[in-house]
Amino acid sequence: MIIFDKVTKEYNGNHPNHNAYRALDKIELEIKDGEFVSIIGPSGAGKSTLLKMLIREETPTEGEVLVDDVRVAQLEDGEVPLLRRKIGTIFQDFKLLSNKTASENVAFALEVVGAFPEQIEDDVPKVLRIVGMEDKARNFPHQLSGGEKQRIAIARALVHRPKILLADEPTGNLDLLNAYDVIKLLTKINEFGTTVVLASHNREVVNAVGRRVITMDKGKIVKDQEQGKYAI
Amino acid sequence: MELNKENIIRVINQGWINFKRNSWLAFGTVGIMVLALLIFSGLVAFNVVSRAAIASLEEKVDVTAYLKTEASDEAASEIVRELSGRPDVAFVNYVSREQALEDFKKRHQGEELIQQALSELGENPLQASLEIKAVNAVQYASLVGFIESGRFGSLIDKIDFYENQTVIGRIQKISSGLRVGGILVSLILSVIAVLITFNTIRLTIYSQKQEIEIMRLVGASNWHIRGPFLVEGAIYGIIAGLAVLIIFYPVVYLASPKVQTFIPAVSLASYFTGFFGQMLALVMGSGVALGIVSSLIAVRRYLRI
Repeated sequence: MIIFDKVTKEYNGNHPNHNAYRALDKIELEIKDGEFVSIIGPSGAGKSTLLKMLIREETPTEGEVLVDDVRVAQLEDGEVPLLRRKIGTIFQDFKLLSNKTASENVAFALEVVGAFPEQIEDDVPKVLRIVGMEDKARNFPHQLSGGEKQRIAIARALVHRPKILLADEPTGNLDLLNAYDVIKLLTKINEFGTTVVLASHNREVVNAVGRRVITMDKGKIVKDQEQGKYAI
Repeated sequence: MELNKENIIRVINQGWINFKRNSWLAFGTVGIMVLALLIFSGLVAFNVVSRAAIASLEEKVDVTAYLKTEASDEAASEIVRELSGRPDVAFVNYVSREQALEDFKKRHQGEELIQQALSELGENPLQASLEIKAVNAVQYASLVGFIESGRFGSLIDKIDFYENQTVIGRIQKISSGLRVGGILVSLILSVIAVLITFNTIRLTIYSQKQEIEIMRLVGASNWHIRGPFLVEGAIYGIIAGLAVLIIFYPVVYLASPKVQTFIPAVSLASYFTGFFGQMLALVMGSGVALGIVSSLIAVRRYLRI
């Protein structure tokens, strides 16, 4: 369960000479376990800031963000990594390491949390199979198409078996066909029980999902529909 | 799960890789650390030498009190008895006028002019004297005061002590000045070393921006992200420490005989051979501390977690 309780985020709010820029304005939002939520809106609407709050890349200026009843802003530094292992993230630019193969990129996520080698050998092929990339495990990112890279990024996000998957413009660099593939994969992951939060301004993609749609503009939620369509 | 063997090896390994990738930067970083540590080690060596020099000089210090010619032998032996009874006096040696003349003649044997002058003089021109050694060098001042103002004061012509005292004072002043200077220089160099190491680590952090970002995203523990940079800093320190020992010991062995001609009591070579373990710990410890402190500053400043 994700709860945004009157969350406001201001930048440069402390500086007397700057007008504070309000990225989020008293956001009230609840996302239940297992939901698939699409967040849409123009650039600068606050979509990315909203997602960043969940993994404590950003902290609210006012209000409270709760993930499974945990107050995210009040976590100790040492507890933040544990939160991030519960929440997988994928991005428009994939963020793969170019000097590592597909499977090494996925294994990297396990290595840096101190997983044992046996576990890594076990889990990496499994998760590559889920995203349909077991054949390309030894390819380097430059040998993969955009859609394939995003699948590897998804595999990496899934390898910690996260409860929540955040997707920030995951199809922004993909053609329509690849974009549909990625969305299909996200839907499949959602069906396994993972909460998916998708931020996008791709009309076709959002309409293809056909689930709850939250529309944002200028840091505010302007629409929240259970069976939404992309409409701005 | 966090602190298993695999994990530690991974962190150390990554630190080593960082170090290797930075080879040219590493050269400069280690170089400045070596400089700082060398000055520091030199300071330690200088301390050993100056302390030994002062100790050996203090050992040589004694007071010679010259008696007026009218002082009788009985009066002199009474003074000797009184002084010997004092707890701060190690020993007293009485040299009579005759003895002094004998010694003087012996010392200037074969010097025609002096012998001639003596015989022309007809009488013994030398004074009887008391050579007094104190238990501790600091007691001389009070001892001299006692002799001058005591009941024998009228029998004493002059006391030859102050000259030695000024020599000791001067050596102490020079050595403490050099020590302060040395500490200052090694402090300044340490600060420079920290700044340069800090900058090197900062560059490593910058070059690994992507890895760090991904590590944060996938929930790598904080020490897993920071650890490699601390290891990298420590490696700079270890290598600098080794280099310093490799330079320092040969120099000590080469310099040792030369120092010994000035101050026979001190053998730098055997001193530092005896304290090799401590020297190793000191130099390596300071190197590693310098490296880790620099990385910590860089990591705190530039590595968001």
